[in-house]
Amino acid sequence: MNLKKVLLVFLLLLAMFLVACSGDSGEEAGGTDTGEDSGNEETGSDDGGEEADSGEVVELDFWTFWGSETRKPIIEKIIEDFNNSQDEIHVKHTHLPWGDIWTKNLAAVAAGDPPDVIINDINSVKQRAVNNQVENITQYLDDGMESEYYPELWNAGVYEDEVYALPFNTDTRILYWNKDMFEEAGLDPDQPPTTWAEVEEYAQQLDEKNGDRFNTIGFLPNYGIGQDVWMMNATGHGFWDFEAGEPTLYNEKAVEALNWVRDYESRYGLNVIQGFEADFGNQQSNPFVAGKLGMAIHTPTGLYTQLRDYGQDVDFGVAPTPEMEEGNGHTTWGGGFVAEVPYGAKDPEASVEFIKYLTGPEAQEYWAVMNFDNVANIAGAEAAAQSDELTEKGQEVYQLAVDNMEHTILTPFPVEAPDMMSLVDPELEKFRLGEQSAEEALQNAQEAVKDLAESTE
Amino acid sequence: MGIFNKNYYESVKVQKRISNSIILILLLLGSILLLSPIWWMFATSVKNMQEIMTYPPTFWPNEWNWSNYADTLEAAPFIRYTFNTLFLTGFAVFANTLSNSFIAYGFAKIRFKGREVLFAILLATMMLPAFVTMIPHYVMFAKLGWLNTYLPLIIPQFFGGAFFVFLLRQFFRTIPNELMEAAKIDGASHLYIWARIILPLSKPAIATVAIFTFNGAWNDFIGPLLYLNDESLYTLQIGLQVFKGQVSTQWNYLMAGSLMVLLPVIILFFIFQRYFIEGMNLTAGSKG
Amino acid sequence: MDKKKMLPKKRVLTLEQKEGLQGYIFISPWLFGLVTFMAGPLLFSLFASFTNYNITSRMDFIGLDNYIRMFTNDSLFWISLGNTLYFVAFSVPLTTIGAVLISVLMNQKVPGMRIFRTIYYLPAVLSGVGVYLLWMQLLSPNTGLINTILSWVGIQGPAWLFDPNWTKPAIIFMSLWKVGGSMLLYLASMQGVPQSLYEAAEMDGANPFRRFWHITLPMITPIIFFDVVTSTIGGFQVFQEAYVMTESGDGGPANSLVFFNLHMWNKAFEVFDMGYAMGMSWVLFVIIFILTFINLKLAPRWVHYEGGK
Repeated sequence: MNLKKVLLVFLLLLAMFLVACSGDSGEEAGGTDTGEDSGNEETGSDDGGEEADSGEVVELDFWTFWGSETRKPIIEKIIEDFNNSQDEIHVKHTHLPWGDIWTKNLAAVAAGDPPDVIINDINSVKQRAVNNQVENITQYLDDGMESEYYPELWNAGVYEDEVYALPFNTDTRILYWNKDMFEEAGLDPDQPPTTWAEVEEYAQQLDEKNGDRFNTIGFLPNYGIGQDVWMMNATGHGFWDFEAGEPTLYNEKAVEALNWVRDYESRYGLNVIQGFEADFGNQQSNPFVAGKLGMAIHTPTGLYTQLRDYGQDVDFGVAPTPEMEEGNGHTTWGGGFVAEVPYGAKDPEASVEFIKYLTGPEAQEYWAVMNFDNVANIAGAEAAAQSDELTEKGQEVYQLAVDNMEHTILTPFPVEAPDMMSLVDPELEKFRLGEQSAEEALQNAQEAVKDLAESTE
Repeated sequence: MGIFNKNYYESVKVQKRISNSIILILLLLGSILLLSPIWWMFATSVKNMQEIMTYPPTFWPNEWNWSNYADTLEAAPFIRYTFNTLFLTGFAVFANTLSNSFIAYGFAKIRFKGREVLFAILLATMMLPAFVTMIPHYVMFAKLGWLNTYLPLIIPQFFGGAFFVFLLRQFFRTIPNELMEAAKIDGASHLYIWARIILPLSKPAIATVAIFTFNGAWNDFIGPLLYLNDESLYTLQIGLQVFKGQVSTQWNYLMAGSLMVLLPVIILFFIFQRYFIEGMNLTAGSKG
Repeated sequence: MDKKKMLPKKRVLTLEQKEGLQGYIFISPWLFGLVTFMAGPLLFSLFASFTNYNITSRMDFIGLDNYIRMFTNDSLFWISLGNTLYFVAFSVPLTTIGAVLISVLMNQKVPGMRIFRTIYYLPAVLSGVGVYLLWMQLLSPNTGLINTILSWVGIQGPAWLFDPNWTKPAIIFMSLWKVGGSMLLYLASMQGVPQSLYEAAEMDGANPFRRFWHITLPMITPIIFFDVVTSTIGGFQVFQEAYVMTESGDGGPANSLVFFNLHMWNKAFEVFDMGYAMGMSWVLFVIIFILTFINLKLAPRWVHYEGGK
C-alpha cells in the first residue's frame, strides 16, 4: 500500500462520485419541473420550449428586477405584446432581486454567458461601456431615434459618440404641499412657494410645536432630496464637466446653497433633524403622507402613488422645485434605468429589436400609465399624461412630471472618477456636522475628485 | 455573576430552588429582550400596508390581517421552492457532517508531517472575503458546465470547510487519548476509531455542525441566486426577494415570508437539542 | 506524549510513515477541494491584485501600483481599516463573554430550558435584508423600540445610526443580539465536561462561581479559542450590516460605517476596479493572518486540551 495507489483510488472514487452526482441533480431538476407544472403559473419558460422547436425563432432572456405583484404583470404584458407582434423573436422574462441582479449579470458577462437584454442603472452606462460590459448598439439603431427620448436621458447612454443603451424610465423632483395645512396656517392653499425665501417663510408658518417637540414641520431641505440637489438647483449644472473632463463642484452659488441648507436646519437643531430622518428614513412611513410635513420635495411617481394608496385624506398640490431666486431656474435632479445588451450576448441585433419596442411609444405609455412611472420616450410620456386611465389628480401630477423634464438634469458617473461622490459626501458631511465651512468642503471635494480623476488616467 | 454568590443558604435544596428561580427570571427577561424584535416582525406581518405607513408605528396591530400569510404563499411557487431548498439543505447537512468530521479527525488525532502548515493553510482559506473569489468561482463553474444546476452548491460541500474542520478539531482534541490508545492496542484502525469512538462521543459537536450547516444552506441567498437561472430551481430565499422592490417594499409579505421560512429551522433546532443532553452522559461515564 | 510514541524500537519509522499516510488520507477530501476548487480562485486573486483587472476586459500587470495607491492615496482605505478595527476590538470580546455567560445559564437544569434555548438561538437563525431593515426601525431615535425602552428608565437614547459616534455601537449591539450561534458552541462543549468533576467539587464545598472558574472554564477553552479566532476573522469581514443599513451602501454619516469590506465591495462592483479590491483583500488577509498567528502562538498558555496535542 503506497501513497500513490491510495491517491489513485481516491481520485477514481471521486470521479465516479462526481459523475453520479451530476446525473442525480440533473434528474432532480427535471423531476421538479414536470412534477410541479400543473400547480403553477410559471411564465415564459414553458411556452418558450414549444416555440424553440420551430428552429428559426430567436429566444431572448430578458432580466429585470420587476418581480413585485404590481410590476411583474405589467412588464410581462409588454413582453407578451412584443412576442405576439412578430414571429422571429421570443422574449423570456427573468426577474431577479434588486441590486443582486447586476452582480449576477457581471459574473455572467465575465463568464461569457450573459442574458440578452437587461435593465440597468442609467448613471453607469458610460462606465460599463469603457469596461466592455455592454454592447455598442449604434449600428442597429434607426436614424432620428435620438429625438424620441429626453436629451438628458439619451446622452446618459452615449459614450464617445457611440450608443450603448436606450433609456427606459426616469424620475424627477417636484414640490408637494399640503393644502389643508396651508389653510390652517393662514396661507393661500393654491399658492405654493416658488423661491427659497418663500419656502423658508411658508415653512415657519407651518411649523407647529408642542413644548420641545415638533408636531409638524413646515419643510426640511434634506428630506426626500439632499444638499447635492440644492447645489444643482442653485448652479443649474451637475458636478462634472464632460467636455473638459473635470469636476465642477466648487462654485459660489453651490457654497450659498450649502449654507442655506445648513442655516435652515440649524434652526431646528441636529436632534430634531436626526430623529426625523430616522423615523422616516427607513422607506416605511412617509412624513408627508402622515401629515407631519407641510411641504416635501419628492419624485412625482413615488410620493404620488403613496398618497393615492395610503393617504386618501391628504389634500395636496404639486409644483416645480422652487428656485434659488426669481429667474435662477427650477433645476432639479433625476435618475433612471436603461435597457441594454450585455457584452457577449448571442444576438445583439435581435436584442435591440426588442429594446426598441420596449422603449417605443406604445410600450412606454402602457408602462407609464399602469405603474404611474416617468418614462423616457417623449411621445409615450405625453400620451400617458392624457390617459383616461388616470384620475384627474393623476393627470395633473403626471403632466407636471412631464413638463418638469426640461428642468431635470442627470448626473451620470464620469468614467475618470466613477466613485467621485464617495469623496464628496464625507466632505459635505463634515460641513454638515460643523467641522468645516462650505467653501472648505467644496474646495476639498474638488481637489479630491481631481486627484482621483488624475490617478485613474 | 450575581447568581453564583448565593451559597450562604444552609439547605442545598433551598439554595437550588432560589438559584433556579433567579436563573428563570434572568432567562425570562433576556427572552423578552431577544424576542421583541421578532414580535415587531410578526406585528408587521399582519398589518396592512396602510397601517405600516402610519406614523408613529404601532406596536400592537390595529387590524390583524391573517390573510397576508395566504397572500404571501400565493405570490410565488413556494411549495416548489421549499422542496428545492430542502433538497439542497439535506445534501449540505449530510456532506458537511460526514466530510468535516473525517477531515477534522485527521487534523486532531493523527500526527503527520506538515500538519501544522496544512492547518494554517486551512485557516487561511477563511481569511479572504468570499466576494473577491466569487467571480473566478463563477467562471470556473461556468467552464465546467455546472451553471443552472445544483452542482456548484452541492459538490464543494463534500470537501470540507475550514470553519467546521476547525470546530470539530477543537472538539475532538478535548476527547482523552486514552480511549483511542485502548482501541489501538486491540488493533483498531483509525477509520474504526473515528466511526466507533470519536463520532459517538461527539454527538453535541456533530449536532452543532448539522444545525449550523442547515442554517447556512437554508438561508443561503447569493449562491443559489448566482448559479441558478431557472425559476423552477429557485430556493426560498430567492423567492422571498420578490417582495423587496426598488421603490416600495411589501413589508407585510416580506415579514410574513421571513417568519414562515424561519419555522422549520426552529422546529429542527428544538428536536436536535436532545443531542446536547445525550452527549453529556457518555463523556461523563467514560472519564470515570 | 512525544516520548510515548518513540518508545517502540524496531519499526519506529514505518509506524510513523503509516500513521502519516493515514493522516493524509483523512484530510484528503479537503486537500482535493483545496487543489481543485479553492487554490485557483485564490491564486488568481493574488495575481490580479498586481493588475488593473476590471472583471470583463482588462488585466494588465501594473506591479505594486494598487498597493501604493491604497497606502498613499486613498483616505477611505485608512478610515475603513480604522472602523473595522474598532468593530473587531469591541464585538469579539463582548460577544465571546456574552455567549459564555448565556450558555452557562442555558446549561442549568431549569424547567422549560429547551424553549429558552430555542428562543436564545432564534436571532442567530434570522438572516437576510429583512433583519437589518427591522433593526433600522428598532434603532430609530424617536419611535424605535430601543430608545423607547431606554426612556422608561430615564435615559435619553442616542440617534444611533444617524450619529457618527453611535453607528458602530449600534452595529455591535446588533451582533450581540445574534450571539445565539456561539452560545450553541459553548453549550455543546459544556456537555463534554464530566458531571463527576462537578459532583466532586460540590462535595468539597466549592461554590458555583468557583465551579465555573475551575472546572467549566478550563474545559471549554478549546472552543473559546475557536470562537475568538473565527469571530476575529468574521469581524474583519463585517459588510452586510453597513451595506444594507446605510443609504445606498455609502457608509453612513461621516463615513463612520465604511468598513473595509464595504469599501472593497464598492471598488469591486461599483467602480469595477477589481484588481484594487483584490489587493485590498490580500492586505486584509495579511492582517488577519498575523492576528491569527499570534492567537495560535498564545493558545498553549491558556487553552486546555484533554486529549493532549
